[in-house]
Amino acid sequence: MDPGTVLAVHSYKGGTGKTIISTNLAAILSREGRNVCLIDLDLRAPSLDKTFGVEGEKFWVNDFLDGECEPSDILFDVSTGRGLKGRLLVALANPSMEAIRATVASDRKGEMRALRRLLALRDHLLKKLAMDYIILDTSPGLSYASINAVAVADLMLVVATWDASDLAGAQGMVGELYSMLEKRAIVLMNKIPRQLLINGSTKRRLADQFKKAFKLPVVDLIPCYCEVLRQERSTIMAFERPKHPFSRTLTGVAKRIEESEGLSAGGPP
Amino acid sequence: MLIRMEKKIDLIIRSLGKGRSTQGAEEVKGAGVLDIMTLLSLPDHLRRTALTLIKLGRAMAEDVAKETGRARAIESAYLNQLVRMEYARRERVGKRVYFTVEENVGGRRRGS
Repeated sequence: MDPGTVLAVHSYKGGTGKTIISTNLAAILSREGRNVCLIDLDLRAPSLDKTFGVEGEKFWVNDFLDGECEPSDILFDVSTGRGLKGRLLVALANPSMEAIRATVASDRKGEMRALRRLLALRDHLLKKLAMDYIILDTSPGLSYASINAVAVADLMLVVATWDASDLAGAQGMVGELYSMLEKRAIVLMNKIPRQLLINGSTKRRLADQFKKAFKLPVVDLIPCYCEVLRQERSTIMAFERPKHPFSRTLTGVAKRIEESEGLSAGGPP
Repeated sequence: MLIRMEKKIDLIIRSLGKGRSTQGAEEVKGAGVLDIMTLLSLPDHLRRTALTLIKLGRAMAEDVAKETGRARAIESAYLNQLVRMEYARRERVGKRVYFTVEENVGGRRRGS
């Protein structure tokens, strides 16, 4: 049995908030004492480099998947100076146009190797570096990279929004892809119009409806916070505004994940 | 004794496999590229075996059976089916039979 959990944050459509949710979950879990590695697997639209501008990076996730370097070459420890009880490592995707072009042009053989390298990276992080969580920030929909991420994950966190096509697509992903690959999954609804969450009972009713639609646990419903969307990419809400309702909601989501993975929430690692 | 029995089971499964495909799965020869899209197109029972083999890299039927929780003889049959479909390679080392995913691996086309 693997010692830790690989959590893939996935959605059907883009712009659902996967990256901000992945980053903040990684921040919260490492603050609570877990060892976390956050990996940018959105190779077609990388963005974690804007949040974690690590100095002197030599290699990217892309290079590792291509077999050009070792896991240690792409991992950067960003724990220092953040007052964390655990470790926070990041692996960034190359944002250059050349790298994105190479990803788009990747062939089946290249993607087969990427899957095997991803499995090797999982082993390295969980077994050699004793990470408690690997959080994969995936690309949306059904691309090679995102399906590879699903194959490697233990638990899927589906981020969906109040949008009919997004909901229908996400339901299809859950019902077909995740079940074919025998994955456990939970749903987090994001950017819900505030008028739909006016009180506890309407929120519960809505959560029940989503639960029935997905046939999966719905961990929470996050309202659309304009101020969160306006924040610069470099801002990590959980670190800079831990009392903001968005940060508090994600702290609750992290607790639910810890409970489902059998780790005591908020307890010592 | 146990090894001899396992060998026999292997032989029986292989000879049965020559006559018909396992569990009615359509046995289509692949191009040796077991990527995720190919995995998704495989029938459920083979997908689980193939994914486990990718995860393990090089494994005996017994190793795959430990991961999937199915019988060794069943996994042996499925692995041999993957070999016939040209997605995996079979290699005998002494009394042991190892399976690996075809190494016919290319790469990403780099931009100029």
